[in-house]
Amino acid sequence: MSNPLSDLEKADVYFCIGTNMTEAHPVAATRMKKALARGSKLIVADPRLIKLAELADLYLPLRVGTDVALLLGMAHVIARENLIAHQFVAEKTTGIDEYIEHVKKFTPEWAEEITGVPAKDIEKAAIMYASADKASIYYTLGITEHICGVDNVQSLSNLALMTGHLGREGCGINPLRGQNNIQGAGDAGAAPSDYPGYQNVNKPENRDKFQKLYGRALDAERGITKVTALDRCGDGIHAFLIDGENTLISDPNREHTEHALKQLDHLVVIDIFLTETAQMADVVLPAASWAEVDGTLTNTERRIQRVRAAVTPPGEAKPDWWILSALANAMSIPGFEYDSAKEVFNELCNVAPIYAGVDWDMIDDGQYQWPVPYKGHPGTPRLHEDGFSHGKALFRVIGYRDPAEVVDDEYPVWLTTGRRLQNYHTRTQTGRSAGIEYLAPEEYLEVNPDNVAKWGLTDGGWAKVTSRRGEVKIKVKSTPRSPKGTVFASFSFAETPVNMLTGSGYDPNTHTAELKVCTVRVEPA
Amino acid sequence: MTMQDIRELPLIDLGVKKTRTICGYCGVGCSVDVLSKDNRIIGIQPAMDGPANLGALCVKGQFAFDYVHHPDRLKHPLVRRADGKLHETTWDEAIQVAADGFRNVAQKYGRESIYGVASGRTPTEADYLMQKFIRAGFGTHNIDNCSRA
Repeated sequence: MSNPLSDLEKADVYFCIGTNMTEAHPVAATRMKKALARGSKLIVADPRLIKLAELADLYLPLRVGTDVALLLGMAHVIARENLIAHQFVAEKTTGIDEYIEHVKKFTPEWAEEITGVPAKDIEKAAIMYASADKASIYYTLGITEHICGVDNVQSLSNLALMTGHLGREGCGINPLRGQNNIQGAGDAGAAPSDYPGYQNVNKPENRDKFQKLYGRALDAERGITKVTALDRCGDGIHAFLIDGENTLISDPNREHTEHALKQLDHLVVIDIFLTETAQMADVVLPAASWAEVDGTLTNTERRIQRVRAAVTPPGEAKPDWWILSALANAMSIPGFEYDSAKEVFNELCNVAPIYAGVDWDMIDDGQYQWPVPYKGHPGTPRLHEDGFSHGKALFRVIGYRDPAEVVDDEYPVWLTTGRRLQNYHTRTQTGRSAGIEYLAPEEYLEVNPDNVAKWGLTDGGWAKVTSRRGEVKIKVKSTPRSPKGTVFASFSFAETPVNMLTGSGYDPNTHTAELKVCTVRVEPA
Repeated sequence: MTMQDIRELPLIDLGVKKTRTICGYCGVGCSVDVLSKDNRIIGIQPAMDGPANLGALCVKGQFAFDYVHHPDRLKHPLVRRADGKLHETTWDEAIQVAADGFRNVAQKYGRESIYGVASGRTPTEADYLMQKFIRAGFGTHNIDNCSRA
């Protein structure tokens, strides 16, 4: 997030797109609701009539996968109505002329045809967002889990840049991260493109630095993504070490994932339960859980916070840092002589400039948000306040593309997937919690009432959902939350493996799967 | 008395331990106090002074903690033996089998044939060591985390 969570209480206008905030990030939504109660305005763009949409002053029910078209239509209106923040644009950005020329073609009427959102509402949204003093954008995986995920994000960035809604309180572009430490995983360099602290692997000076630190030659080229690695299992990739991910259930196209993992010579899984993925492993190493470890987590607003052990792990389970160190030591990899999480964190602070100003003893109260470039620096709650780190921000010229699959006679229904309030991801944790089991014991397919009747389904009855990749039997729930022609389910339940159906395509840049769109056939079962 | 004052009253000493930590679910990073007794979690309280949540907490964060003590928790390392099944073993053997497997694959197919997947659910230290294991161990950047799915 460019801005701190406290800014959720400070905007005049909120533009929430592709975020089911009240279910996936309930506490963030609670903070925004305070501002709404004081009169701030909310625009929600989402294919489903989610709870957040019910709170909205303006709801834009776009067809799945058409975000770029909606955002182009809005940009057209902002340019046409001359709501551009000229001073901000002149001082801090580059490429506006070409961009304005580009968006001239994309009228709200053009966008209506693709998105299904009335042109009048697209105009209203654009004017509301652009003319507010403080307007902020919030998004989640509804923006990124598309073949055009990068285009979606850059389209949002264009809107924020042309209106100057960046680098100020109550503004910004704010992705809400889904996992408690997905930010920290990226910060720590667990990515094929970056050393710790987002130091690009392609830069020779970074390579030199880490070759010295780690005492060995390192490749000059970036590695492959997990998606590519799974594609190459048995053909170039022959061993996986997986820590705390139930890949088999969480990833798209389960059949493909299962086949891939079976091709491996060696699979080692570190986890707290014998997940579906761990069941396939050659070696399973038992980890201490969240309540049993000391360590750090970095949240969605880049805040570095301490987790502390409250209880001891069961049996012989060990903290991940201990397990990985033991494994490295057994392989004689140098530099793994750690006695505590503190030593590991302090090493990260030494090698990652964004963490350079903190150490383990400074983060007890979680008061630092990175970048903290040097000791004595107060941290950076809000990014871009003094301009952009790489000079001027660039407007990106982006066109609309259809999703990887579009409905046809054989697969005439859109399927979109997501989360529900009570369950978390693949239910490794929430599936073993009595209260949650009581609240939300099974998955169901949300179908518009008109479609329930038309497709011969019954509310509470069973449906067979078929895509080009597989089929799933699932209970039907008749609800106006789903628009006509679009159905929804979460992927949380192993017994209703909705990711058998997904996996139609990937963003070519990030390899993020288009989990938010695929086409299916729905029949009574 | 405000709600905050009430929450800050000292607990009557029933042997309940209060541990300030961060919720283990989504990326908002709510501060919580874990209440435990006799090495078991008995409750979770939202922290009124948590910078991300200011005392708020959701249904998962407040109530879905019993998985920590679930009987399904892995308590011992497991290795797959000749019968094709996973069997409990010692740490020494499990680490040895895991290490030998990576060593053999690296010898047979090259150092590029090994891939590491770090977690968005573990502390940052685990993610840092996972990338260091791959980079320092094999010299590649064949490392990713679960942010793409």
